[in-house]
Amino acid sequence: MLATMSQQLSPVVSPDDPMTRRLFPPAYPEQAARGAELEYRNLVDSALINHHRQAFAIVAETAEADTLSEAELNTWLSAVGSMRLVLGTRLDVSEDMDPPDPSDPTAPEYALYELLGQLQYLMIEVLSAQFPDEGRPEGAL
Amino acid sequence: MTTSIPAAAGSGLARRVEARQVEARRVESRQAETMPVEAEETDLKETPNSDRPWLVIVWNDPINLMSFVTFVFQKLFGYSKEKATKLMLDVHHKGRAVVSSGTRERAELDVYRLHEHGLWATMEQST
Repeated sequence: MLATMSQQLSPVVSPDDPMTRRLFPPAYPEQAARGAELEYRNLVDSALINHHRQAFAIVAETAEADTLSEAELNTWLSAVGSMRLVLGTRLDVSEDMDPPDPSDPTAPEYALYELLGQLQYLMIEVLSAQFPDEGRPEGAL
Repeated sequence: MTTSIPAAAGSGLARRVEARQVEARRVESRQAETMPVEAEETDLKETPNSDRPWLVIVWNDPINLMSFVTFVFQKLFGYSKEKATKLMLDVHHKGRAVVSSGTRERAELDVYRLHEHGLWATMEQST
């Protein structure tokens, strides 16, 4: 299922597609900074598209694997997060909303959205274990 | 380094974007088994000059899991679990939180890394 979703989403990931626009948020919120925002978009949009496509490609390839390396798991976390953002945007989810009625046509999609959230949660549990609680003064990986 | 310089070709973000594209080619050739470690540019260790620093702000959104937001703060900034959790709760309850500050170049790089992780981040100059 994840492999299919990855394959479906990969070609359409784009800041111009309303379904995936949430994956390309603005860096400069004010109207006055439009020049800076355009410059940012020019610089990063193709890199972001590549980032998401690579992640989807790796998920599609490793979907049947018995185990995943740490790098692959990080990539899965990213891809599942992106899928969830796309789905959540389509479903127009809000904080603490009630799930739709089972007869509602959006119910299956919402169930998938919830399932992806649970999967994400499990991956975070595993990957968080590598971080020392006190943090790393030298900064990020 | 002044804060009025736009993100030019030699900027940290441009190098990161280029590194991302190099990584894309590497992944395509299936040679990478581990995540490449990015070298931190030495100029990022400089303290901000007398110009007003740039703030990186993360905004609340209804989709991202609280545990994921905390995870991203720990991963990207090396924050302690306590600090990362506190920042996440600020985002959740107050709608937004400043997660880092520094030069404009550094802020733009942080915004990009946060965007890569699906978080809604913006930057603005402090007043």
